[in-house]
Amino acid sequence: MIETFITDWITAIWAMFTDGRKRLSILYLLVAVVIGLGWLSWKRGSRIQVAMLQLFNPSLWWARSAQTDYQLLILNQGLMLLFKPLMMGKLVIVGSLFLTFHNLFERPVWDSLLPSGLVAVLFTLCLFLLDDATRYGLHRLMHLWPMLWAFHRVHHTAQVLTPFTVLRTHPVEAVLFAWRGILVQGICIGVFVFFFGQQVTLLTWLGASVFTACFNITGANLRHSHIRLSYWPWLEKWLISPAQHQLHHSTAPQHQLHHSTAPQHWNLNYGAVLALWDRLGGTLIISSSTQKLRFGLLDQQQHDQQLSQLYWCPFLDFRRALYQWFSLKRRRVSYQESKT
Amino acid sequence: MAKTLMIKKQLFAASVTAALGLYNLTVQADVYANFPVTVTDYTGHQEHSEAYSGQIARHVLHNSLKQLTTMGSGKANTELKHNMMAYYSGKHNGRTIIDPASQEGFPVLEVAVDQLSIDKNLSDKTYRGLVPGWPGSMTGLEVVKFMIDQASASEGGYDPLNGYDYTQLISKFLMGAVFYHQTVDYYLDEKLAVNIKPNHEPYTDGAPYTGKEHVWDKAFGYFGAPAHALELSAADVYAIAKQQPAALVKADYNGDGLVSLDTEMVYAHAYYAAIFDQTGKTQYLHNIMQAFIDGRQLLTKANGQTLTLMQRSELKGYAAIIKANWEQVIVEAVFKYAGSVYADLQQLQNLIETHSGDIQRSYRRYVKHWGELKGFALALQMGSRDLGEISVQLNRLIGYSPVLLGNTQVVGLAKGQYQQASSISLSEYQMHMIKVQQLMSDQFGIKARSQDVMGDMTALIKQLGDTLSAEND
Repeated sequence: MIETFITDWITAIWAMFTDGRKRLSILYLLVAVVIGLGWLSWKRGSRIQVAMLQLFNPSLWWARSAQTDYQLLILNQGLMLLFKPLMMGKLVIVGSLFLTFHNLFERPVWDSLLPSGLVAVLFTLCLFLLDDATRYGLHRLMHLWPMLWAFHRVHHTAQVLTPFTVLRTHPVEAVLFAWRGILVQGICIGVFVFFFGQQVTLLTWLGASVFTACFNITGANLRHSHIRLSYWPWLEKWLISPAQHQLHHSTAPQHQLHHSTAPQHWNLNYGAVLALWDRLGGTLIISSSTQKLRFGLLDQQQHDQQLSQLYWCPFLDFRRALYQWFSLKRRRVSYQESKT
Repeated sequence: MAKTLMIKKQLFAASVTAALGLYNLTVQADVYANFPVTVTDYTGHQEHSEAYSGQIARHVLHNSLKQLTTMGSGKANTELKHNMMAYYSGKHNGRTIIDPASQEGFPVLEVAVDQLSIDKNLSDKTYRGLVPGWPGSMTGLEVVKFMIDQASASEGGYDPLNGYDYTQLISKFLMGAVFYHQTVDYYLDEKLAVNIKPNHEPYTDGAPYTGKEHVWDKAFGYFGAPAHALELSAADVYAIAKQQPAALVKADYNGDGLVSLDTEMVYAHAYYAAIFDQTGKTQYLHNIMQAFIDGRQLLTKANGQTLTLMQRSELKGYAAIIKANWEQVIVEAVFKYAGSVYADLQQLQNLIETHSGDIQRSYRRYVKHWGELKGFALALQMGSRDLGEISVQLNRLIGYSPVLLGNTQVVGLAKGQYQQASSISLSEYQMHMIKVQQLMSDQFGIKARSQDVMGDMTALIKQLGDTLSAEND
């Protein structure tokens, strides 16, 4: 039993670096290094040795925050194995949807309406768009709802960003993300198979959906790094650049902006791949090389790099947020009663 | 010195004999053959005790009858019906084997049923219980006779007006009503009781096999596997059943250049077990074969004595393996053909809507697959256990006939004529097929899952991978 668990755990960790569907796949990491070096040499005019030093700066890679990322990477993969039985099977959703459609409508005979290649393109595209849109939605909710922020906060306690920060996730958040993925995939597969039957196939590259592979191989790992790779402003209105995500982390502009501690950069650049959702939601910020970034949180605690605290404190924060929510509701009711 | 040399020679001879004997035993361990006679006071000249040619004769009768069902001209044909009944209920000599017959590159040894066994028919062994899944409240025996009557008057065994393919219906129904029923509900059930055909007595006076040995052999014969099936892959068994010339070398175990229909041919459920085993997800054929051989070896070791409590318990354990795996083979077939009918309906509706393609051909395929589905579904209900609600659901979902193009379905029989009534749409009937697959999956936990309607979705889900990876944005 324990041996099987440990074997599965090691396999899961190994898969993080070998599976083309995972962002930390070695291929994507190597490509990110090449892109990073190219960017620093070309844009910043750094010599290759200096660029290498910037890229592999030990003070970043071995910072306390980065060490916590590595620990979380290993522990979370084990925890995810324990949570697997809690996951509602995709097949259940897919099957239920398929049967519900069958009950509600006559199954259309579109099996040969469109060429198979076009059906594959449509399916892969729809899956990508729905996946990206829901990522944006859930991510935004995690920032706006204190009860969800309690868990997502863990990701933002990273004070240095390395590609491994992508796995700095509280298990509760991981489960929420997994449910989102299951729902999206279930809906897409159920609907497409209902309409197009056996024509439905996924366009793949490097073992992943072609869009996921493209996103990952074009430097997605630089989103969690100190290489401020930005796109042309017009392109950043369509695609989230690594620099934009750093803004998100910094309370400064888009993912570096997303992780910024500067208040003006909070609640911005939630998107994963497309900037479209941020534009629609009014949360997009274009990156700027002059902005200073500071990763982490304004209310950063000393214990925010301790594993036990990272796992446990979110539950306390959640309880607090829940209590506040109930108190607020009670006060509103009392206020309305007093008015009447 | 001479004496020492003599002793050495004797020891050498004994060693060689022992080694050969051991080799012989090793070979025999995988083959249902060469079991010694254990009847204590046997005075005959037989060296081996296994005998199941009567069951093989019934397989040959079934195969031949299946061929005859395709010979109707579309008009009542007394001669054809008489001929079909000769292979179903006749016992007379001189019946030739219509199938399996020699084919180019695949010659068979026997050409007449009598060469296998005399006085054999299928009707004496057909299920006598009520068949609720077929209109007319008939017994199994009556159902077959009724189907033969209808088939003889149809064109090539096909009744497009009511949606019946009698070739498939008769064949699959008989496989259940005779072979499966006789084995799991008779020979491996009540015939394994202590006082019925005991092991310390010959099966009949003067027989070279004990009561229990012959009971076990008969059960094996009905399965339809060649004696050396354990040495064959599922693909080999499939190729032998199809009489492919390349499979001759695999079938011809004794190397005489001919395939013995008695011990080297593949029939009925053994063939279907091989079909599902070819998916690589199941081992039905070898599971059943191994249990038959293990059980027979246990009986041989009993050496003509009454079985001990432990031996009987072990034998029943082997019987349970055979029953469970055999039932799974039939369940897999129901699952598979429900999926085929689903796909046929999808194609049929497509052709109707687009006014393109050969609708008649598509409809013919639908009726054929439905016949296979119905035949296996009825067969499943003739085993040793009462399936209760599962039977009710299965029969209601499939109905008495496929849903026809005018959204009608056969709802009963009146004066020997099918009665049709308005029913559900083809699309709704598709839904029934999914439910049949779900029912089989939920109740029996099948593995091969051929023609799985949800199968494409499962493949896509696997392709997309696990979402529980803890990856953040």
